[in-house]
Amino acid sequence: MSLYKTKKATNCIIESVPAQKILEAMGIRKGVNVRVLVRQPFGGPIVIRIGQRDIAISYEYAKQITVKEVV
Amino acid sequence: MRCSVNKKENPMSGDIPKILLIGNPNVGKSVVFSKLTGHAVIASNYTGTTVSYSSGKVKLHEKQALLTDVPGIYSLEADSNAEEVALNLLNAGADAIICVLDATNLERNLNFALQLKELRIPLVFALNMMDVAEQKGIHISASALQKELGCPVIPTIAVRNIGLAELVRQAFACMEQSDSIESSSLPSSEERWKEVGRITALVQRLEHRHSTIWERLGDSMIMPFPGVFIALLVLIVSLGVIAGGGRVLRAVILLPVINDIYAPFVSGIVSALLSEGMVRNILIGDYGILIKAIEWPFALILPYVLLFYIVLSFLEDTGYLPRLGVLGDGIMRRLGVQGSDLIPLMLGYGCAIPAILGTRTATTFKQRLIVSALIALAVPCISQTGAFIALLGDRSVPVLILVYLISLSVIFLGGLILKRLIPGQSSTILIEVPNLLMPNANAIFEKIWIRIKHFLIEAGIPMLIGIAVASLVAETGLLVNFSLLLEPIVVNWLGLPAEASLSLILGIIRRELAVLPLLEMDLSTVQLLIGSIVSLFYIPCLAVLGILIKEFGIKIAAAISVSTVIFALFFAGLLNQAINLILLLL
Repeated sequence: MSLYKTKKATNCIIESVPAQKILEAMGIRKGVNVRVLVRQPFGGPIVIRIGQRDIAISYEYAKQITVKEVV
Repeated sequence: MRCSVNKKENPMSGDIPKILLIGNPNVGKSVVFSKLTGHAVIASNYTGTTVSYSSGKVKLHEKQALLTDVPGIYSLEADSNAEEVALNLLNAGADAIICVLDATNLERNLNFALQLKELRIPLVFALNMMDVAEQKGIHISASALQKELGCPVIPTIAVRNIGLAELVRQAFACMEQSDSIESSSLPSSEERWKEVGRITALVQRLEHRHSTIWERLGDSMIMPFPGVFIALLVLIVSLGVIAGGGRVLRAVILLPVINDIYAPFVSGIVSALLSEGMVRNILIGDYGILIKAIEWPFALILPYVLLFYIVLSFLEDTGYLPRLGVLGDGIMRRLGVQGSDLIPLMLGYGCAIPAILGTRTATTFKQRLIVSALIALAVPCISQTGAFIALLGDRSVPVLILVYLISLSVIFLGGLILKRLIPGQSSTILIEVPNLLMPNANAIFEKIWIRIKHFLIEAGIPMLIGIAVASLVAETGLLVNFSLLLEPIVVNWLGLPAEASLSLILGIIRRELAVLPLLEMDLSTVQLLIGSIVSLFYIPCLAVLGILIKEFGIKIAAAISVSTVIFALFFAGLLNQAINLILLLL
């Protein structure tokens, strides 16, 4: 499932990330826990929480990241 | 006003050892730098405040070293302007590195720390923001981390000057033992993250805490609801403080002092010494240098500059601005830019120079150019805002509001057009939302002082020159010649009095000087509007032209300047003709 489509406040684990160094360097990488906090309207970004940090990430980046829900 | 971010000293000066201050963005490097060197650099609570490096000396007893504040980077691999600057500095060679780590975000900072270790340069870590981490229930053992990293780790709270003396001692000490660095093999990125996970688990203990009121407030600021309402509230309060407070300072304190005490006093002395004539008029006439050189900068402009920077510095240090960027991204991306470009745009309402330098954080050239062009064209700097308020505040508040609405519309339409006109790609938003913090009073005070000092130096002199030019051309009769030359444009097309040509001449020097001469003319409401619109879009000031040339080259700078002049005259004239036509039909 794409990160962009994830329901708010659902705990997920990142399954795959496009090979962009900046994503990895910001801590967005495979196997990491992630949760969508906010979804902005009008094509705006989603805000995700990774560890103790919030990152605003655009639709274009987020749709390429796949996640799996943690049950 | 030139911002201190481009202050450079020759890093080659002398043979003293070089220390680089490195770390992820927004971990407090610039605060550490200011405290250690005594050099004033602007630090804020968002990514990318430092866009170029500054250097300064640090001393320990008789020893000294050159410390360089490197722009924040996420890794030694990825590519961006900031990383290029940082890598060049690293490649130029350093005797030691002070790496600042954000204790509230240990994992990602550690990944960067491990990359730095691979460089095999003597390394000291500052584990910064220990206070914020404790508040969040994050406990880190600095001694355990030191053992794992094999380098000194000093817990610090840079804004309060805690741990920094020890940091300097360790930095000097590690340079002396530079030959005893263990060699570490180069791990793959996956192995490095594994190592990060292992170290984090060993040294960090997370205690579950209910989120503090600041955390909850920070979160609600980026929700569409109530975020938009909070944004409106922040905007209204900010405008109230700047416009309302400025009016009080100006009308209650500064103008009475100047008009009732200073001006009569100076006029009295000059009148007693000089008989009526040109020299006396140059000194105390309509554009009298001795009067206007005090009234314009100090009574009309400075109150707004001061209040704007109080508000801006506060918003910067709380970490609110990136949140506004997140909220505004949906709109900004329609203009070919993204939410984080909202920050330089907002800096532009203070001064275009730090704003244009700030666009270096924009990820693509196209975005930099769009933001810079919009700032040069349609974002009035605070000096110009002060002048608009002086001109329109008492005579026609609706015109004042209309000028700002027109400015906003042109920014929006300009973005839509430039997005299509300028070739290249725009990147989309990917930014860290910083912790929402209560700003440190000392840090804010220092920052405001830096900015006011810059304003007085960088803006004061051109303003004096402008006022001198105004006085000379008005009193020597040169103005009449200029006015005749520009009459077809100024009188026929724009519908302004002939002497308004003075605005077009002075406006080249500084933005507010295009507005202030209008104060001395008896203008109708329509003329007030047209005069304001011309000066709003007219060429940015000489200093901005300089920075545009430096950042984009002469061709682009010339293109921006010429198009702003043409647009200003064309648009304002068209508006004038349309209004006249409507008035005629009514």
